[in-house]
Amino acid sequence: MKRIFRVTMIIGTWVASFSAHAQLYQAQNGEVSFFSKTPLENIDAVSKSVNSIMNVATNEIAVQMRITSFVFPNKLMQEHFNENYLESEKFPMASFKGKIKEAVDLKKAGTYPVTAAGTATIHGVTKPIEIKGTIVSDGTQLQLSSQFDVRLQDYQIDIPKIVFAKIAEVIEVKSKIQFTQKK
Amino acid sequence: MAHTSMAQEDLMAMLDKESSKEMVYTQATFKGSRLINGQTIETIAKKHLNFWISHRFGAVNSGFLENFFGLDEARIRLGLEYGITDQWLLGAGRSSIEKSYDFYTKYKVLKQSNKMPVSVAAYGSLILNTMPTGYTMPTGTLMRFYNDQQRQSFVGQLLIARKMNEKLSLQIMPSVLHNNLSETPYHENTLTSVGFGGRYKLSNRLSISAEYYKNLVDKKAYLAKSGEVYPYQDSFALGFDIETGGHVFQLHFSNSRGMIEKHFIGQTTGTWANGDIFYGFNIARTFSFDPEAKKTHK
Repeated sequence: MKRIFRVTMIIGTWVASFSAHAQLYQAQNGEVSFFSKTPLENIDAVSKSVNSIMNVATNEIAVQMRITSFVFPNKLMQEHFNENYLESEKFPMASFKGKIKEAVDLKKAGTYPVTAAGTATIHGVTKPIEIKGTIVSDGTQLQLSSQFDVRLQDYQIDIPKIVFAKIAEVIEVKSKIQFTQKK
Repeated sequence: MAHTSMAQEDLMAMLDKESSKEMVYTQATFKGSRLINGQTIETIAKKHLNFWISHRFGAVNSGFLENFFGLDEARIRLGLEYGITDQWLLGAGRSSIEKSYDFYTKYKVLKQSNKMPVSVAAYGSLILNTMPTGYTMPTGTLMRFYNDQQRQSFVGQLLIARKMNEKLSLQIMPSVLHNNLSETPYHENTLTSVGFGGRYKLSNRLSISAEYYKNLVDKKAYLAKSGEVYPYQDSFALGFDIETGGHVFQLHFSNSRGMIEKHFIGQTTGTWANGDIFYGFNIARTFSFDPEAKKTHK
């Protein structure tokens, strides 16, 4: 009797963990890019190694990216971005965590316009943020795309006056993240 | 509500676990590919071009009326360097000292990361002296060339650096300099030297740097053979790096006037103790020739 109980427990735990896992969707090569048009030169960069994880049971999402993974066409700009503006040695990661406000079942195939409410952490500063985007689901894979603006001032990113004309105060950020079910 | 944010924390903890396994390379050990006179482990990015303008003025102790504290007599070097890959650069320059042309290459062999304690680069240079034969060196030696080989000098260097923390980077530079023609029969053709250098960031755009080359020369043997005191000194320089957008300004004081290894390692005559201090600057401007430049953001 005791033995049967124990086996049931083990199977029960295993099934529970399986179903919990089945709710998790993961992405390791998500793309986040940002862009700012200025009179002198355009500033743009892309990271193609953004990690993200989504729980479709609760519609919660976490996104994390390494600041040094952003690639700029101009390497000097990339160095300044890391050394002077985002201070990647002190604050190596930027992240977002939040919850999708709409009641959507992402396990059902379809295209869903969504709004994620949560907090973003950039340059060591955490701020509440709402991000609008679209999720395309085919049942096993999710494609998330979103676009939002980041005000440099909100995250205490200091731009010296000497280069002020070169850098806009608001940066347009885009993301494209492909999730697959976590095994 | 408390439960919700807990679950978000759990998701973030899973991401933290993922990212802790990633290889993270150290960035910007030094501001430029040159520390003061000599090289750093830094190379330049692929398809990027650096234009270097360097000046060394006369000694600050050379008088106000005679020389306006040295500003009247400048030595200059103009140089270009180009990144073939992110690790490999080619460069060339022309110094007014001994009308020298220098051609060099630098390759970054190892890159410091969370799994590698140091960055290592190899540097090699060929120097051509194009002075008319029979000129007098600052030491008084008359230099005569009988063929073009005698005008050539070679430099080999291993650059080993570690960014200790966000502010402090240190570098050690074992170096060999070979002159095909030695200045006198008492001078060795080959000089070995060990360089030590570093920089400390005072702010995001300002850092202080220092560079010292200890020459491994048997000065007693030279004195015994030639009956004269060895004329050259170890090079020591102190400077500031100031960064503004696309430029790096390096302002410094040094007992050397040369801007290439042959001159500052091999032919430094001044000493700090005597006030033979030369004020100088380097300006580097970087240009990007990457045609991918406009395509990143879709």
